[in-house]
Amino acid sequence: MKNFTLWTLSAAAGLLFAGCATYPDQATTRQMAEKMVFEAFSASPAHLKRLEQDRSQQICSKVGDAKLSQDEAAELVKLARESIKYPASGQIVGNWKTGDMLAHDGAGDRIRDGKTENRQENGALCQNCHALAPGEINVGNLGPALTGYGKQRGNSEAVAKYTYDKIYNAWVYFPCSNMPRLGATGHLTPEQIAHMVAYLIDPQSPINK
Amino acid sequence: MNKKRGICAATLATLCLALVTPVFAQSGDPLAVGRKMLVEDNPGELWIDQGKALFYEKRGPRKVSLEQCDFGMGPGKLEGAAARLPRYFADTDRVEDLETRLLTCMTRLQGFDRDQLIKTAISAPASKGSDIEALALYITSRSNGVRVNVSLSHQKEYDMYKAGEYLFYRRSGQTDFGCVQCHGEAGKRIRLQDLIHMTSKAGAQEVSSTWPAYRGSHYVVRTMQWRLNDCVWQMRLPDLKYATDYSIALTTFLNRQGNDAVIQVPGFKR
Ligand code: HEC
Ligand code: HEC
Repeated sequence: MKNFTLWTLSAAAGLLFAGCATYPDQATTRQMAEKMVFEAFSASPAHLKRLEQDRSQQICSKVGDAKLSQDEAAELVKLARESIKYPASGQIVGNWKTGDMLAHDGAGDRIRDGKTENRQENGALCQNCHALAPGEINVGNLGPALTGYGKQRGNSEAVAKYTYDKIYNAWVYFPCSNMPRLGATGHLTPEQIAHMVAYLIDPQSPINK
Repeated sequence: MNKKRGICAATLATLCLALVTPVFAQSGDPLAVGRKMLVEDNPGELWIDQGKALFYEKRGPRKVSLEQCDFGMGPGKLEGAAARLPRYFADTDRVEDLETRLLTCMTRLQGFDRDQLIKTAISAPASKGSDIEALALYITSRSNGVRVNVSLSHQKEYDMYKAGEYLFYRRSGQTDFGCVQCHGEAGKRIRLQDLIHMTSKAGAQEVSSTWPAYRGSHYVVRTMQWRLNDCVWQMRLPDLKYATDYSIALTTFLNRQGNDAVIQVPGFKR
């Protein structure tokens, strides 16, 4: 035992001095990095909760080009399915005007000096990543253009349902995509998502003009 | 809110530049002067002299300069030092980035209070900037023209690098963001803001060689720590503390990926 310890110690020292340090294994890296996360932020316990990953986020945090296994993909879709909640009213198509306003609103729930942004409701963030109504210039391109969304797909019940589910939890159709699971993470309420659906599919909405 | 002060500061900076660069004034075409200044003159240059003065001044409760501070190449040796940061330091037994190392020296050598330094480390927009911002820029500027060369020969440097890589891909919070969601592809934008593609060599090199940078919309010099704070804020995470291993790990990862870029600071950012 003693010999073994000595040997490991000198081997470790040898590694260091020879300048051939080795990469830690994945579990060790994970442990070190997770510790860093929880030491790095000053926050109330409620705010610190935001650092904790749910199961889906854990699976979707693979380093580099590592691919999802089939089992993981299946689990993600199942978790996404189970997460989706509909408005109490049962109405999944709300008011496109409210949706229009929300789509262009990128604020909400950010934290500075321990205080959460003081607003009535969160913006929907869509404009940050998607082109919306024709001619709008200040739009991102992280996601595909949604211009003419309803014009192309119509506003059937099936389209409304797909769109609602997609916005509520984008990973139900595309596990680990870069689109946030805006309903499932609590960023948007079911009612807000219904307004987003209306904004995307209503023929009167500027996005379909 | 700070717009008015901001414009004043910018005008002042422009005036100062006009004073210290009489060469351009001779060209006769005022528009050409303006154009040339935009390309060649970075208001951030003004912070270099400020940082240099702070570096050599005897300061702090112990009334000493930073000349005894070892940034990795030996006490007071600044040439090329920033190009190798973050790196392992035996005296603290940890990997430190530029800002952490500055804190170490300002507290250990000069006797400043760490909490106090941290409180003022990131300055208000359109202010005259913080000591740490000016010092970080001055020290990095002494590596201008030098290639980034972050080594991972110490085990703790390897560990830091791997942790940084892990963190770059770590998703959390209500937007499901990790860094890679915004910095993992070429040609992407959040609204009109171009996002650097950091999983490409060229993108990582842009990061590793241009900070600290003059931030045009803030009229001050900004450091990497400020940049990380801003991204984390957009991610809806809580307040990131100054100079923690989280930032050092990400900076180690990014700078190492950006090895071989030629440092040219201050960078100029939107
Ligand atoms: C951070 C970026 C981001 C934000 C914010 C975002 N999206 Fe997306 N969105 C994406 C990406 C990336 C895709 C493509 C991958 C996918 O389908 O999940 C996408 C896909 C979509 C699709 C599927 C398009 C199709 O052809 O089926 C819809 C619909 C959509 N987004 C709507 C929205 C709406 C509405 C909002 C705001 C409430 C929003 N998105 C916010 C990034 C984003
Ligand atoms: C929601 C999108 C988003 C996320 C997530 C994000 N960033 Fe950024 N990042 C930005 C934007 C926007 C800019 C600034 C672009 C500009 O100023 O034009 C930026 C700029 C940067 C820069 C400066 C690039 C340069 O040299 O100009 C660095 C470094 C950086 N981010 C690192 C990170 C790291 C590390 C993370 C994760 C901890 C991260 N970002 C997460 C949006 C994001």
